[in-house]
Amino acid sequence: MMWSWIPSNAALIRQLTLESAYLGIVPALLGLVISVPLGIACARWKWFYPPVLSAASILYALPSLALFIVLIPYTGITDTTVIIPLTLFSLCVLVPNVVDGMRSVPEPVRQAATAMGFGALRRLVQVELPIAVPIVIAGLRVAVVSSISLASVGQLIGVSSLGYLFTDGFQRDFPTEIVVGGVLVIALALVCDLLLVLATRLLTPWRPRRSRRAARDLAIGQPAAVLSGGAG
Amino acid sequence: MSFLSYAWNWLKEPQQWHGADGIPARILEQLGYTALSLIIAAAIAVPLGILIGHSGRGAVAVVNLANAWRSIPTLGLLVLLVITLGFSPLSWLVPLVVLAIPPILVNAYEGVAGVDPELKDAARGMGMTPWQQIRKVEVPVAAPLIVLGLRTGAIFVVATATIAAYIGLGGLGRYIIDGLATENYGEVAGGAALVVVLALAVQAFFILVRRLVVPVGLRQQGRPS
Amino acid sequence: MITFEGVTKRYPGGTVAVDHLDLTVPAGQTMVLVGPSGCGKTTTLRMINRMIEPSGGRILLDGQDIHQSNPSELRRGIGYVIQQGGLFPNRTIEDNIGTVPLLIGWKKSRARARARELMKLVGLDEQLARRYPYQLSGGQQQRVGVARALAADPPVLLMDEPFSAVDPIVRATLQDELIKLQADLHKTIVLVTHDVEEAIKVGDQVAIFRPHGQIAQVDSPERLLAAPADSYVENFLGFDRGIRRLSFLAASGLNLDDRTVVGEDTAAPVAAQTARDTGEDWALVVNAGHQPRGWASASDLDALPAGSAAGQARLEPYGHTFSVHSDSLRAALDATVLSPAGRAVGVDDNGEVVGTTTYERLRVAIHAAEEAEQRAAVDLAPEAAEP
Repeated sequence: MMWSWIPSNAALIRQLTLESAYLGIVPALLGLVISVPLGIACARWKWFYPPVLSAASILYALPSLALFIVLIPYTGITDTTVIIPLTLFSLCVLVPNVVDGMRSVPEPVRQAATAMGFGALRRLVQVELPIAVPIVIAGLRVAVVSSISLASVGQLIGVSSLGYLFTDGFQRDFPTEIVVGGVLVIALALVCDLLLVLATRLLTPWRPRRSRRAARDLAIGQPAAVLSGGAG
Repeated sequence: MSFLSYAWNWLKEPQQWHGADGIPARILEQLGYTALSLIIAAAIAVPLGILIGHSGRGAVAVVNLANAWRSIPTLGLLVLLVITLGFSPLSWLVPLVVLAIPPILVNAYEGVAGVDPELKDAARGMGMTPWQQIRKVEVPVAAPLIVLGLRTGAIFVVATATIAAYIGLGGLGRYIIDGLATENYGEVAGGAALVVVLALAVQAFFILVRRLVVPVGLRQQGRPS
Repeated sequence: MITFEGVTKRYPGGTVAVDHLDLTVPAGQTMVLVGPSGCGKTTTLRMINRMIEPSGGRILLDGQDIHQSNPSELRRGIGYVIQQGGLFPNRTIEDNIGTVPLLIGWKKSRARARARELMKLVGLDEQLARRYPYQLSGGQQQRVGVARALAADPPVLLMDEPFSAVDPIVRATLQDELIKLQADLHKTIVLVTHDVEEAIKVGDQVAIFRPHGQIAQVDSPERLLAAPADSYVENFLGFDRGIRRLSFLAASGLNLDDRTVVGEDTAAPVAAQTARDTGEDWALVVNAGHQPRGWASASDLDALPAGSAAGQARLEPYGHTFSVHSDSLRAALDATVLSPAGRAVGVDDNGEVVGTTTYERLRVAIHAAEEAEQRAAVDLAPEAAEP
């Protein structure tokens, strides 16, 4: 490892890290924004969910590189070419979580809200969505971590990110660069993950601290969840 | 031109279908890498997952593993191994296997751990040895999730194998990488289209496997809870 | 006042949950709907706040057809308590209780103040106000549910098996507290339960449902126990309704015998003679404070050495006492059955002995009470035939 390489390329490293962050976080957030109404619709109209899940499991099975390439004739070699497929992947993970989150609202609570005179919208915003938050954020964590990691693949079609350190390191036979790139991708992903865990804690002071639910929210097999819910 | 027309134009050239660089050869290569990696990964991860699920020990490690694993950049891992170890089966097989293990492991674990405790209790009460409990009760009940883990693992293996063309591996990724290098978008598109079809075919295969393997009484549309 | 006129609820597939129901819930009273599973009592309840819409007939709330009001607005004026509580897990206790006030536009500070008032009313420690539901026990959560239903001071309170999910001791406490609350608040309460004991304990009026949504009888608990309309009601009330009925008859009607009571300092021979005079050979020995100590038999008293006082004799335990002023004939009967001497000791509010009962005296009192009731019923219904 040639440690001196790091400080002398600090500006580049910073730039690439920001790009990776951008290419990872934006799709996850876009996915969130789209998945919430979509998930609410799936929870509300039960017939709607299976086709959505089937579409999601088909989409999720496709390699990201292939999807980037499919978009090139339409969006060129731009950030958008990477962001769109990653957003779709995020959707695949988030929609089931939104649905699960909505379903996690205990029926007596829903009944009580209606009986007290909550209209459907108010009940959604003040009761159901807040209760769904932990499960939704669990999905968001998976989405963010996966997106940050997958964004580096975009380097192969020329969309710049920390993946540049991999291809450049490969071409120059320079392991230091690759290791730095790898460590930064992982660190970036895990930092975002941690921030989301903290956000969950802050947003849900009403949940028991030590519980089995809390432990399972480490989002085991979330992509698997997409697949099992679809064609079975 | 649209993606499909690029791809189609390239695909219909007859020379793509012959020779060592021909489509059938590449498809077989990709399937070969996929199968090999999955088998090795399954051989490691399924028993391990079942054991952890049965005994409950190491569960915390599994849970933390699942999340951390997703952050590993496949391109970086491939490239690093090739540079330090040279291009050999180790440098591509290891990443393929390593990246496939977590979903298989986690799902096997969840499958066994998620077996109704009353069922496990009944099995123990009937006098089954732990091995019998695993074989006769826990694994059959966990079968859907185990197959799901394999299916998920397959997704990642197919995707990683495609990327691995960058470090010199064969398979359908070859078209993508070579096409990008020569700025032949037709080849790139053709390769991508084939990868998509292959990925879907692999998924269909596992759906079929699930139908065959999962006992009728357990077929449910459901999330791993 | 709530009126059901020919209300029917039919589900697609043919199930009739409620069948042409006519029922009047008097204002300011507790009406309990009781019946077997699936009899339609919960459906009936939930039609009042339009959680379920009837297929036929109409429901009037204080003369107004509820179908003409906006459902959400209607519900804000009706309190609703359910078995599992249904507390919002994501809100603190005080914000849970203040839900409806906040909904109708109160300022947060006012809603929270009201919440604390109600917490006191239902017996919850104010310290729990900022806690979350998961931190409370089942009984505490149920109290929060009741407080929440009362927050906006609705005239009507609907309760669906509110105490079924807690253990019997907590349940009895909550029932007692509901009775006390109602004595202060005089809400129109409709309560659904499957427990006929609860219905009798808590209800001013009880409606017994047959399976499939029809009412067998609506009456006060006393009248139900005294005069069940048919064998279905009789069976539903249970085989010991005769004894349970006694809980509605006051023990103050008993003619207690005070001749058998002797002070502990009374000379033994005198006490023995007192015991024999009553023809029973037992005397109740009391202390200086006129509180019971135990029963002494005439023969034991005779066996004492000369100069002994009654208090030195071997005393049989007197079992437990009943309060003459506040207990029912059922308590008196129970005390009599439990007393080793076959006689129960009636005490006043200070614990001082008033007198003792026998089975015979109880029988007389019961008969007298029944006659009084029948006379009262005849007075109210002059056209009814004389027995």
